[in-house]
Amino acid sequence: MKSNVYSKSNSPNIFRKFLHWIRVTHAHIHLFLILLCGITIAPYLWALSTSLKHRVDVFTKTPQWIPNPLRLANYSEVFEMAPFGLYLINTMVVVTVILAFQLLTMTTAAYAFARLEFRGSNILFMFFIIQMMLPVHATILPNYLIVNKLGILNTRLALMMPFFATGYGTFLLRQTFRQIPKDFEDAAIIDGCSGLRFLYSVLIPMGKPTLVAQGLISVVTHWNDFFWPLVVSDSPNIRTLTIGLAMFVQQESGADWTLLMAATIFVTAPLMITFLIFQRKFIESFMSAVLKG
Amino acid sequence: MRSVAIRKIRPYLYLVPSLVFLAIFTYFPILYSLYLSFFKQNILHPQPVFAGLANYVDVFDEKLFFTVVKNTFFYAVTSIPVTMGLALVLAIFLNEKLGWVRNIYRVVAFYPTMIPMAAAGMLAVWLFNPGIGLVNFYLKKFFGVSTIEWLYDMKWALPAIVITSIWKNFGYFMLIYLAGLQNISGELYESADLEGCGFLQRLRYITLPLLRPTTMFVIIVGLISSFQVFDLVYTMTQGGPADSSNVIVYYIYQYAFRFWNIGHASALTVLFVSALLIFIVFLVRTVERRVHYEV
Repeated sequence: MKSNVYSKSNSPNIFRKFLHWIRVTHAHIHLFLILLCGITIAPYLWALSTSLKHRVDVFTKTPQWIPNPLRLANYSEVFEMAPFGLYLINTMVVVTVILAFQLLTMTTAAYAFARLEFRGSNILFMFFIIQMMLPVHATILPNYLIVNKLGILNTRLALMMPFFATGYGTFLLRQTFRQIPKDFEDAAIIDGCSGLRFLYSVLIPMGKPTLVAQGLISVVTHWNDFFWPLVVSDSPNIRTLTIGLAMFVQQESGADWTLLMAATIFVTAPLMITFLIFQRKFIESFMSAVLKG
Repeated sequence: MRSVAIRKIRPYLYLVPSLVFLAIFTYFPILYSLYLSFFKQNILHPQPVFAGLANYVDVFDEKLFFTVVKNTFFYAVTSIPVTMGLALVLAIFLNEKLGWVRNIYRVVAFYPTMIPMAAAGMLAVWLFNPGIGLVNFYLKKFFGVSTIEWLYDMKWALPAIVITSIWKNFGYFMLIYLAGLQNISGELYESADLEGCGFLQRLRYITLPLLRPTTMFVIIVGLISSFQVFDLVYTMTQGGPADSSNVIVYYIYQYAFRFWNIGHASALTVLFVSALLIFIVFLVRTVERRVHYEV
């Protein structure tokens, strides 16, 4: 079995005693969890079910959970009404380019903060921390005006550029780089490997778990991003999935639930499927990002 | 001599890529907002005219502003505690040895994190549909509650958004608590046992104090995100009915991108950012003073 941070339960036995004390057995816990999970999973399953129904079957007196008869045509109809394939490609391009730039900017910055001594490093690091705390939504209007001045409004570049640097990612990676013993660096220097080569051949391979974690978080964040793309993408050609969905709703004005849910499921499916396949990696990554913070 | 100079400059060169983008899209925009907030500039007067503090006066002149602030606070103080409580209980339970199903619980609790807020909003609009929505059906079936108009009712629109956000966020908060629980070492409890501490004493003196940093982290993350709630409001209610679910960021959005009143929107932004930062600094200070246990 693959070892991972959370597989071994070092649950302090205090909780077990507490649970015993108020006479809660594992059976009760299971009952509670099953109930909660049932409520949690219901909305998505219901949307999936709705997306596979005939329009008339939506209006049954009691909810029909298993679509009968099944209707896959809703999805092809959605594709005819709006270019969701294009939206998917746009989203993938945006997410990938942002990730590539973030990896570049944060590894070099984290290296400098973790391994090099220089004047003003504390103050400069504060600037990165500030970005972590600043509400992103607060900079949308000025950023819109800036992007407009730069003449890139309504381009894919505008969707991506504000996120090329990440304070949070730099912070996490700095923590990781700092934990790598100095001996490695000394040994590397003796081998004539310093600066960028040391970063590339020692630090990056050793910091890989953090890089993967930050990468996943970045992809999820920007796949799901809404406000910024809403503001800067006017033309359908550069729209991402979330904006495409919102525009589809307006175009449909809430008339046909089977189509709206088909669109919603399509927008969420790529990430959801990836999550279900790599769920261990995802949960581990999100958790490790918290542990270091 | 040359190599010394290079060694001195080198660290800064590594920071340049990040700093360029941070400067253009984070620091400058904040200052730019501040600058713009002193000018009147809107669709009728596209040329900025210096106006001093007039925009700020206008902000407080409008009654709606206070409604919007109140709504945002309502959203924060209802969604954060419930989400946190649910997450904490869930984390404690999932830290138990529950066998292979534990993983399924965790995946089910966490999956809403993967759904875009905008899509979550769509799901919610469908579920909260007064006529044929799932929520009303089961409320009636199990609790005999008569039809609630949810998103069309001034009383229920904001609570519906709160409920949706709880569903969307509690899995993520749970993960933070799980991480926090793992940081508590079992040895502490063993020595507490030796000292003859009772259950409540240990809870009071070990578990809760040691989970406090985690809790503070959760509160700060929760506050930052809930003061910025936008996607759900945009997709579920557009702030309605009659601004009953309008919140700060959506309100700024309206001024900026619906009314094109740049000055007013900038003044709002400046007030919003300063209030939030002061709030966070205050919170962090309080925590630092109170957490002495951390090793």
